[in-house]
Amino acid sequence: MSFTKRLALAALISFAALPASAQDNPVLTVYTYDAFAADWGPAPGLKAGFEAQCDCTINFVSADSSIGALRRVQLEGDTTEADIVLGLDTSILAEARDTGLFAEHGVDTSGLDLPTEWEAPDFVPFDYGYFAFVYNSETLPNPPRSFEELADEDSGIKIVIQDPRSATPGLGLVLWLKAAYGDDAVEAWTDLAPQIVTVTRGWSESYNLFLNGEADMVLSYTTSPAYHLIAEDDDRFAAAPFEEGHYMQIEVAGVLSSSPNKDLARDFLAWLITPEAQSVIPTTNWMYPVAPIDLPDGFETLTIPEKPLLLPDADVAANTGTWIAEMLDAIE
Amino acid sequence: MLRIENLTFAHPGQTAPYQFDLEVAPGEIVAISGTSGSGKSTLLDLVAGFLTPTNGEIALDDRSLLPLPPEERPVSILFQDNNLFDHLTVAQNIALGLQSTHGSEQAISDVLKRVGLEGYAPRRARSLSGGQQQRVALARTLLRDKPILLLDEPFTGLDAETASSMRDLVKDLTNAKNWHVVLVSHDEDDAVFLADRRFDLSGNQLTERAKA
Amino acid sequence: MLSSSALRMPSGSGRRAAGILAAAAITALIGLIFWALQNTTITRTGSTIPVDIPHLLRMSAIQAGLTTLISVVAGIAIAWSLDRLKFPGKPLLVGLFASAIVTPGVVVAFGLITIWGRAGWANTVLNAMGLSVDSSIFGLYGILLAHLILDGTFAARILLSRLDANPATRLKTGRSLGLGAVRRFMVLDWPAMRGAIPGLSAIIFLLAFTSFPIVLLLGGGPANQTLEVAIYSSVRLNFDLGAAVALSLTQLVVCTATILPALAFPGSIAPAGNTNSFFWPDRWSVRVLQIAILGLGTIGFILPLLAVLVGGVSANLPVLMARPNFWQALGTSVSVGVSGAVLTLALGLAITLARTNLKSRIGRTLIGLPAYTYLVVPSVVLSLGFFLLTRSLGLRPQSVATLVLILASALLALPFALAILGPAVSAVAGRYDKLSRSLALTGWLRWRLVEWPLITREIGIVLAMGFCFSLNDVGVISLFGTDSFTTLPWLMVRALGAYRSNDAAIIAAILLTLCLTTFWLLPYLFGKLSNAQD
Repeated sequence: MSFTKRLALAALISFAALPASAQDNPVLTVYTYDAFAADWGPAPGLKAGFEAQCDCTINFVSADSSIGALRRVQLEGDTTEADIVLGLDTSILAEARDTGLFAEHGVDTSGLDLPTEWEAPDFVPFDYGYFAFVYNSETLPNPPRSFEELADEDSGIKIVIQDPRSATPGLGLVLWLKAAYGDDAVEAWTDLAPQIVTVTRGWSESYNLFLNGEADMVLSYTTSPAYHLIAEDDDRFAAAPFEEGHYMQIEVAGVLSSSPNKDLARDFLAWLITPEAQSVIPTTNWMYPVAPIDLPDGFETLTIPEKPLLLPDADVAANTGTWIAEMLDAIE
Repeated sequence: MLRIENLTFAHPGQTAPYQFDLEVAPGEIVAISGTSGSGKSTLLDLVAGFLTPTNGEIALDDRSLLPLPPEERPVSILFQDNNLFDHLTVAQNIALGLQSTHGSEQAISDVLKRVGLEGYAPRRARSLSGGQQQRVALARTLLRDKPILLLDEPFTGLDAETASSMRDLVKDLTNAKNWHVVLVSHDEDDAVFLADRRFDLSGNQLTERAKA
Repeated sequence: MLSSSALRMPSGSGRRAAGILAAAAITALIGLIFWALQNTTITRTGSTIPVDIPHLLRMSAIQAGLTTLISVVAGIAIAWSLDRLKFPGKPLLVGLFASAIVTPGVVVAFGLITIWGRAGWANTVLNAMGLSVDSSIFGLYGILLAHLILDGTFAARILLSRLDANPATRLKTGRSLGLGAVRRFMVLDWPAMRGAIPGLSAIIFLLAFTSFPIVLLLGGGPANQTLEVAIYSSVRLNFDLGAAVALSLTQLVVCTATILPALAFPGSIAPAGNTNSFFWPDRWSVRVLQIAILGLGTIGFILPLLAVLVGGVSANLPVLMARPNFWQALGTSVSVGVSGAVLTLALGLAITLARTNLKSRIGRTLIGLPAYTYLVVPSVVLSLGFFLLTRSLGLRPQSVATLVLILASALLALPFALAILGPAVSAVAGRYDKLSRSLALTGWLRWRLVEWPLITREIGIVLAMGFCFSLNDVGVISLFGTDSFTTLPWLMVRALGAYRSNDAAIIAAILLTLCLTTFWLLPYLFGKLSNAQD
């Protein structure tokens, strides 16, 4: 066979092979929050890692906030193109379950290294952290050591927080004050109201505002200073330990019942909790991994709360709506 | 004597300006006829002070009226309509523009009697017929008693009988009060019955008609 | 001979058919939407945040009531001042005030933030003196100010045309009687304006009560919401469809209750054609007051718009242009705007032309009624209806989003189109109907020779208005917008929410420029077109 003929044959074969391979390569769509899907977040590392072993394409689509991803799926209904929703947490989990949109994940979550036992059959945890107010130690040398100190009218501290209806940290703060103060939570909110500069829709906006100097403290995580320390070599940022304790957040992901790629989605979730995938998390999402892996250097400087708080699922499920309404009322 | 000399005025876009020359003696009614758009209303506007001439003079008894704004000129003006304010009463309409209200109630009822509308003082202007409204307007001019009366198509739209009685009223009042009256009308009857002298307005100038 | 007379159709039957078809289609759509609203399975698919409807109603009513009061008062004062003053450029200023109706709410809100926000112009000056306005622009004051700027100028324009309609002879009578400024107002100005006040107040109340973009941007939180914002939050933040539907039905009841009594008052607010050429200024001391009022009103209206233009020009354009959804948003906005405008015109013409061909008064009223229904259906409620309808039909919201945008904005602009086309078309019909019929001039020929040349300018106005309404809309896209499908104003709202004020500034400037240019250019061009045919 002449060279040109062989070339032509090769081209013909490869063309014929193309459609077939396109059919074999399914696309997995994950709805998540903007910081997760961003180039500087976990998405690129997870995408590369999973695609290397799955013979598929996985796309992380950014919704405007963590709870926003859930709302988007609700709005789109059965016709949504999402297969997985990633970035909800234990506080919103009951409501997510009630939507009836999620299927069982079938992943073995027994070997995880979590402060609590994990039993949910429909959601897989992939990282966790503790809420805390983050500040710049240079501009705020004497941070408050409790909510009481923060809410004191002479403190003069300005904070920026998130909307509990659209962002899990915002919801976390509502539950945090409830766990710390019980029935006095409403009063605590009223006292806190004057310090609030604004309430943003998502975590990214409030953190940006904080970095731009619009507020002294931002509602974030005990692990946020690790970003500044490790990625920017900047040790000025710290999380303020509060005497009342710190509310815990476990972030989860779930498979949608409407997805045509449920098995592949389950494969992804199973892979998400392997050491290989989990090692991406600490230095891109700046949270604690759920699998027992070594933490990068610098994490040891972070304060681990003496008093982690977590309200029982049943209480949260029954009362979140009312508590959010009370909070919105109190801060006006 | 009302003297209008070489009164010149041109509307924007008008090539040949108006040029008015006219004399009106006290107690005299002068009627001006002309096709529509010939400038009759312009003449009245100039005398009343709503327009400023480019040249010429308007004088009453040798006193120039030109420096005076409309509200200060010794002029009363009666239009075809819109002489009264609908929502006010007859008495209120007549009282408009009076300097003082002292003794006005009596004065108002006197002038109303004079125009044949005795007892109409409390009625709302909008409830009156066209002819009655014009009478009220005349009553007002009677009360104000300015030496110059300008009439702009005042009887158009009234039926023959009403118009006729209105003309009689104007004639009576003019004689009694010695007003200088300029009447602008396209109605032949108005001119024939009222005018002491008649003018035509054409070619932007006034031409006196010879008595037939 | 028999066949020709049997075939001869009554004149105007084609137009009647078109109009009836349009009215029927619109009615069917309303019916479907109401069906969708009633039939939503009210299962708790979302969060259970309780919605306090009476509280919302009260807050919305207070805000709308205050807005109406200050707007009408300001409108009277500005119209009064405008009527008395003569200066070069007056027609320009009056035209500017007339464009208040199409100025986007998001633009005014953003302009106010640029001036009065924490990082705004006012603070730049005040901070040097140790003072600050804080965040007072966010909240009731900001909302009232924004509404005043838009509705006050709108009121001024309407009331000015009422003053202009005062016959010259009446004014001359007043002047020769030597009426003073106060007497003159009581006797000449107020009676002229009085008739328009009830209708005007009802419209301003309705606009303020259903205000969406301004309250969304300047509200500052749940305390200052209108029902529209609450419906939006219920769907997008809580996904509580039950609450959204309850709020929508409440909204519809209130709007209907507001507009019906106003329709009973005969005073029309359509601008009268008369412009009074008789100019009669007040004495100088009163003129000073009028100049002050007009100056304040003009500055108040122009300053936020100027702030938007300045902010947009000085912002970083390449950053925004690099965002992929900017171009998508621009394309969507323009294409939906054009389509919506054309659809509004088509429906408006079909109805008004049919009306002149209907003999019975009942027929004439009935054919226009469906269109006026959308006067009481605010944009978010309409959007919710479409959204629920789409889901009931099993369709993906994304796939019908463009169609919904075009349909919804066309329907929302339709009442205004009818208000403009109606008088124009019936004026032409009144003059030429018998003549046209005696010349057997019907259908397309009649349109081309008689109607089109005489209402060309009105067509230009309707197209411009339809385009601007569609461009400004935030309510309809609020429920259908996603990251990949958005329009310019929604992109701006999102940018502001994410504190990307650079992006917001440019988009605001683009919106303002597009709207003003279209609103001024189209009627002018169409007017030229009709003159060319004379």
